[in-house]
Order: sequence, then C-alpha cells, then structure tokens
Amino acid sequence: MTSLWPIAFITFKEGIRNRAIYGITLFALLLFGATALVATMVPREVGKVSVDMALSTISFSGLLIVLFVGINLMAKDLDKRTIYTVLARSVSRPQYIVGKFLGMVLLITVTTLSLSVMAMAATFILKMTHAEFFTRFSWSMIALSVFLTTLMLILLSAVSFLFASFTSTSFITLVLTIITYIIGQSISGVKALIESPPQALGFTVSPVTMKLVQAAYYLFPNLSLFNIKLQAAHDLPVATSYVVWTVLYGVVYICLAITLAALIFRKKEFP
Amino acid sequence: MRRLFLIILVLIAGYLHVVFLGKASEEMKKLPQGDDHAFILPSPILKVAALEYQGLASDVLFLNSMAFIGETQERKERPRVKEWEWRWWLKTLDAATDLDPYFFDPYFYANAFLPWDAHMAEETNHLLEKGSRYRNWDWMLPFFIGFNDFFFLQKNVEAVPFLMEASRRPGGEPMLASIAARLAFKENQTETAIFFLEETVRRTDEESLKKIYETRIQALRSIAILEKGVASYKKKFGKLPPTVDELVHRNIINKLPLDPYGGTYFVEQDGKVRSTTSSDLEPYISPAMKSFH
Repeated sequence: MTSLWPIAFITFKEGIRNRAIYGITLFALLLFGATALVATMVPREVGKVSVDMALSTISFSGLLIVLFVGINLMAKDLDKRTIYTVLARSVSRPQYIVGKFLGMVLLITVTTLSLSVMAMAATFILKMTHAEFFTRFSWSMIALSVFLTTLMLILLSAVSFLFASFTSTSFITLVLTIITYIIGQSISGVKALIESPPQALGFTVSPVTMKLVQAAYYLFPNLSLFNIKLQAAHDLPVATSYVVWTVLYGVVYICLAITLAALIFRKKEFP
Repeated sequence: MRRLFLIILVLIAGYLHVVFLGKASEEMKKLPQGDDHAFILPSPILKVAALEYQGLASDVLFLNSMAFIGETQERKERPRVKEWEWRWWLKTLDAATDLDPYFFDPYFYANAFLPWDAHMAEETNHLLEKGSRYRNWDWMLPFFIGFNDFFFLQKNVEAVPFLMEASRRPGGEPMLASIAARLAFKENQTETAIFFLEETVRRTDEESLKKIYETRIQALRSIAILEKGVASYKKKFGKLPPTVDELVHRNIINKLPLDPYGGTYFVEQDGKVRSTTSSDLEPYISPAMKSFH
C-alpha cells in the first residue's frame, strides 16, 4: 500500500507537466469564450445553451486528456524503459498498475475540477447579464453532471489501462479506447433502435446483428449512463436511485477493468 | 539577403493564398451540387451520432435554422421561401427537438413562421404538441396550439382543451380563461384573434419578431373596424354594402383603415371582409387569391 502513493503522485506530476495539458486547457478556454458568443445568439434559452456548451466542453476536454495524456503516461514508462527502475524496487507489477491508475484518477479529477471552475465562471457571467433566461437553472444539477462526467472519464481511463496491458504500442491502445468511447456512448441508443418494432424501424434487423449488439451492450461500458447534460441544462429531476446505481455500476466496472489489467500485466513480457 | 527573400516569398504566398481561396470558393458555388438545405438525417441516427453531445447538436441545428431565416429576409423573390424549404425547416426544428425535446426556442420560432408564412398550421401543431408534452410546466405551447386551432384551422372546439390546459400551467391564467370563453362566440373571431396576438406580443422580447406580430395585429384591427362597419350597415340598410368605400360614403366609418400588407379590402358575399393580399393572415385571404399562395 505504501508504494502506491509515490507512483500515483509521480504519475500525476508527470501528467500535469505534459505540454498537451496546456493545449487542452487553452482549447477549453477558447470554447468557454465561445459559449458567451453562441449562447447569446440564441434568442431565449441562453441558460440552456450555455450549460450545454459548458458541460460539453468539460467532458470533451476531459476526453482529450484521457486519450492523449493518460495513454502516453502509461506508454512512456515502457518506451523509455523507466519501468525497469520502478519494478526493480520493491514494487510489484499490480501495485505499479494500481498506482499509475490512482495518479490518473487524481489527474482527471484535478483537471475536470479546474475546467469546471472556468465553466462556472463563464456561466455565471452569462447568468448575470441574461438573468431572465435562466429560469430553469440549478448549480447543483451542473455539479452532479460534472461529477458523473468525471466518473465516466475515470472509467474510460481504466479501460485504456486494460488495453495498454496487452497491446504492444500506445497507438493501438488509443484506437481501442476511442472505439470503446464511441460504442459506449451510443450502444444503448443503438440497442433501443434495433429492439424497436420493425414497423417503426422501416427494415428488419437480422438475428445475428441483434445478438452482436446485445453482446456489445454487456461487454462495453455503457457510458451514456453518466450523461445527464440534458437534465442539467433544463433542471429536470434526476432520481437519487439513478445516481446511486450508476455510480455503483461505474465503480464496479472500474475495479473489474483495473483488476484484469493488473492480471494481464503480470504476465506481460517487456521489450 | 536570403532572409529578406524568404520573408518576401512568405508575404507573396500569403497574399496569393487569399486570392486563390476566394477564386476557388467562387467557382465552387457554380459547381452542380445538392443544396445545403436539401436534407436532414433522421433523428434516431442523429441521436446515436451525436454521442453525448445531443444538447449541443440540438443547439447547432437550431442555430442553423435561424441562420436560414436570417438569410431569407434578404431575398428579393416572392414568395421569399419556397415550400420545400419550409418543409426542410420544419424537419430541422423537428430533429432539434427530438435531440432535446425540452428546448423551447425551436417551438417558439416554428410557431412564429410556419402557420403564417408557410400555411403549415397542422404540422406546426404536431410539433408544438411534442413540446407541450415534454415541457409540461410551460403554458405558452398549449396556448399556441389553441390559437392555431382556432385561427388557422377553424377548430374552435379542439382549441378549448389546449387553452384550458394552458390555464392550468403557471404563468397565464386570467386571460386564457377569457379566451376559452370567447371561442364560443363565432361572430367575434377577429377580436378574439387580436386578443390572442396581443398576449403573444406581450411575451415576446425579440424586436424583429415583435414587429412581425404587430403588423399582423394591425391588419386584424383594420379588418375588425370594417367588419363592425359592415354589421352596422346591414342593420341600417338591410343589405350588405357593395364595397368598403360605401361605408365611408354613408358615414359609418370615418376613413378606410390601411392594409399593412398593401392590399385592398372588399366585402365577400357572405358578409366577411377580406383582403387582396394579407399574405400572413390566411383565413382573411379571399379564396380566389389563395390559389396564388
């Protein structure tokens, strides 16, 4: 346990120093600036559009961090052979994986938190200037949405660790993680679509496709569960039980992915 | 020396880049190709393709549709917007509200243009009913449905439940009850319509939209004055006036009210006052003129 924290902390520090972080932050800042521009182009629901923009920017920037900073952090140790010096000390391979992952969790949490502060500032300014269009608006719903987005990003990062444990290059990990993200976000929509009656669909779905989609539904993480941007934008009620089950699902999936990653990593042969 | 040469080269290339881009995009406009406004993806596919950014996708679709309306304002030809363009516009708003059914603006703008300019009251009500179902706290959407039912579709009975529904929602109680009551009297149609529209203007903040609605109200007011004149003429002389000028001759009204759309008024055989143009006010266009629209 004691060896986990130094690895986590070093990983976090390495991530924060990564130049990509600056680029992503600059990009997010530009988008928050654009929020003011786009939201005021909408005649009435300025509040809704600004919340849409703010939350989408947070989750998209977070996604970029998971894809371009997170995956690199894992790969760098292998590429630069620094992993030998770490493992030469009394750190087991599973400990190394878990430590790295904890560092990544820390990095994701800190970056989404700081992005949220910027987003809240942009939204706050718009709320001051267009108070009459912020009738259905709630800070707590925005905070809840940011929390679930953070959990989604951590989950995706855990899956990328799983991929990194058995692929040979970080590029393959990146591609697999992007595919997982796309499938994860759309799988419940696709499942609902193909399970709807053929009359409504306009064509019949072959049983093979049906089985494939159903298999994918249980295999890939259902990332759309963590998406309550629409509810946050309109201050619609979200049941506590929904949040509880979703968080439990996320935590279990993360544990599963990291445990599997540790198991596979134990057997991995280094170059 | 070499550095200076490189700087000049960069400057020239930069200038040429702008020139060539302009020329090429000018040529691109002439290419035989499909119209930007020709199609819209079906909503289930849009929903899947938007990943977790459905709200944002909805905003983009709506802004697109607003840009289209802005662009048509500068057109010279009449009618400004073709029928298939209105259909595309409705589809875009429908898709935007499939992605985010709680988004108010698409409903609001659909109602401001489609029943009036595109004569698509039925389709608009279909869209508004979706909005009313989701935004169950919003009195405006059932209010609009009620108005369209009454004014464009002449379905007073159908309008009443929507107005009653609107009156139950927070925001518009007192006047909605009286409108629902007015619908029972067929003869006060025009004044009821004015009453409806004044309420809409009161809740509209956008200046350009306000102006459009105010013109509509002005046209209806002119018709209301003439209708009253025709009624008292009939009472006095026992027949309909042959022309609206007759009302001025017989001192029933002081002067003829103006049609803000530039048409002239006349009395139909059934005693109704209609205009030769009033392009926005479909129920008040003479049936003979309707074939032009």
